Amino acid sequence: MKNKFQWNNLFLAIIVIVLAVFPLVSDSRTWTILLTQIFIFSILAMSYDILLGYTGIVSFGHAMFFGMGAYTTAVMLKRMEPTIGVFILSIVCGMLLAALISFFIGLMTLRLKSHFFAMLTLAVSGLFLVLAEKWRTVTHGNDGFTFKAPEFFKDRMMFYFVTLICLVLVYLLLRRFVNSPFGRVLVAIRENEQRTKSLGFNTLHYKVIASVVAGVIASLAGSLYAVSLRFVNTSVLTMDITLDALLMTIIGGVGTLIGPIVGAGVIELAQHYLSGLAKEYPIFERWIIFFGIVYILAVIFFPRGIVGTVREKFWKRKTKTRPLGKEEVS
Amino acid sequence: MELLINLTVNGLATGMLIFLLASGLTLIFGLMSVLNFAHGGLFAWGAFSGVWFYTISGSFIIGILGAILTGIILGFITEKLIITPVYGNHVQQILITLGFMLVLAEMLKVVWGPNQIAAKVPSYLAGSWEFGDVLIIKYRLFIIIVGFVVFGIFQYMLQKTKIGLIVRAGVMDKDMVQSLGINIKRVFLYVFMAGAALAALSGVLFAPYSGVIYAEMGFEFAILAFIVVVIGGMGSFPGSLFAAILVGLAGSYMAYYVPALSLAVNMLLMAIVLIFRPQGLFTAKG
Repeated sequence: MKNKFQWNNLFLAIIVIVLAVFPLVSDSRTWTILLTQIFIFSILAMSYDILLGYTGIVSFGHAMFFGMGAYTTAVMLKRMEPTIGVFILSIVCGMLLAALISFFIGLMTLRLKSHFFAMLTLAVSGLFLVLAEKWRTVTHGNDGFTFKAPEFFKDRMMFYFVTLICLVLVYLLLRRFVNSPFGRVLVAIRENEQRTKSLGFNTLHYKVIASVVAGVIASLAGSLYAVSLRFVNTSVLTMDITLDALLMTIIGGVGTLIGPIVGAGVIELAQHYLSGLAKEYPIFERWIIFFGIVYILAVIFFPRGIVGTVREKFWKRKTKTRPLGKEEVS
Repeated sequence: MELLINLTVNGLATGMLIFLLASGLTLIFGLMSVLNFAHGGLFAWGAFSGVWFYTISGSFIIGILGAILTGIILGFITEKLIITPVYGNHVQQILITLGFMLVLAEMLKVVWGPNQIAAKVPSYLAGSWEFGDVLIIKYRLFIIIVGFVVFGIFQYMLQKTKIGLIVRAGVMDKDMVQSLGINIKRVFLYVFMAGAALAALSGVLFAPYSGVIYAEMGFEFAILAFIVVVIGGMGSFPGSLFAAILVGLAGSYMAYYVPALSLAVNMLLMAIVLIFRPQGLFTAKG
């Protein structure tokens, strides 16, 4: 068991090294940008999985934290000088903001049952979208605004490395987090909240902290996303972002950290190729249909997603993933 | 005064459309404890298919009937393919119905193209009546009347007929109903189809009201319907009428007096209700 775990780490380290060397070998601009995008969405999807896969709560408002990070970074880089210092400061500010807001929202809403929570998060993120659209002096509404990225990121490669490092760091931190005693309690909440409660754990407390962690990481992803585009508009707050995170998590594998990364890769790549195909076959313009169908099939037949299913089939290892939420024996 | 009447009529008309959508949602939730996130997709399908039938045949009545038929068929498919496999698992239900919503919205674009489609009010409902300064648009009045008629029919069916009795009993305690020898699964299917038909009806009525229809409208309206269901109490039919009118009126007044708040007011209403009275203003079991 211990041995296998280290093979795992070695394997991951090799992948990271390959990815790190990649831009030095290949000078394909498309690939650098595409991979950067994948890293950013991997971070977002992992943060979503903390909620969905580990704690078993469905949030439809994840985009608001992503958007918060994106807007904080964009506004600060525009209003102050575009330097690395401001960039880092803006990430920290975005995270603090996300932490604060996710804390209060969590405190208010996490007492509710799954449906109500899903709907309330949907509504609150809707509020933030409206706020961003109306507060034009800062956000420029739906038109959005461009801003200058720090000089250091002029070279796409530098930014590629920064996102890769962020991804690895977030992965390691979150792995530590979910394997900690705290993370175990989250899994217990997913499996059976009533029982966890009767064992003396204050589940609300745990769920609020999980949602704060998820919010903070999503905000980091948002900050990186804004810099990668050098542009921000209200689309970062829309349901589409939440849906992306959801699709990536479900297709990649809930309740694992590698799953969302795989999911982000699969979806971004497929999106890239399918929209390329759309020039020849117009049906591929609607590539989201395929994902919708794959997603529905995944929820019914492969609730563990790609990674969970592969682990189960080939590694014969007792996985920690379980099909989604079997709680609520009302 | 005139202004107040106009705003009220507008609010009532919007409220009725939301009610038609929310009533199906609330019954489905009350009976099956399924929160159907695909409901907005059924609404949009009702609008598109209704407008299509209307344009082809030239008769608005046929458009409405076509939309209802589409709603019933889609409701059947949704219940059989999407809801049944994940019955009893809330998280999976939320996820899968949301996925189906996505597919429905994209399928609309495949069938009718990604652009907005214009929808006209039929000639006999176009125009308005004037009473002094008060201007009442005929079509809005028509929507309000249809809304109340549908409410009346469903209320009658729920209160006075055998199937209504079963549905009401099912909302209270479905295990008990099943143990009395009633095939509750079949009742689920019927209620789901009826809910889908109501959503489609709401969609086709909405089309001439707004003038244009587009694939994303399902999601936008579904959010309003969820808000209504939460405020009115899950599973409560009269509750959803009351809450829909409340939401419609609040939106209409706010849009005039405090435009900045008009979009937020419903969300705030829902948040307040959820925090202080999570079971909704009316409860089905009460």
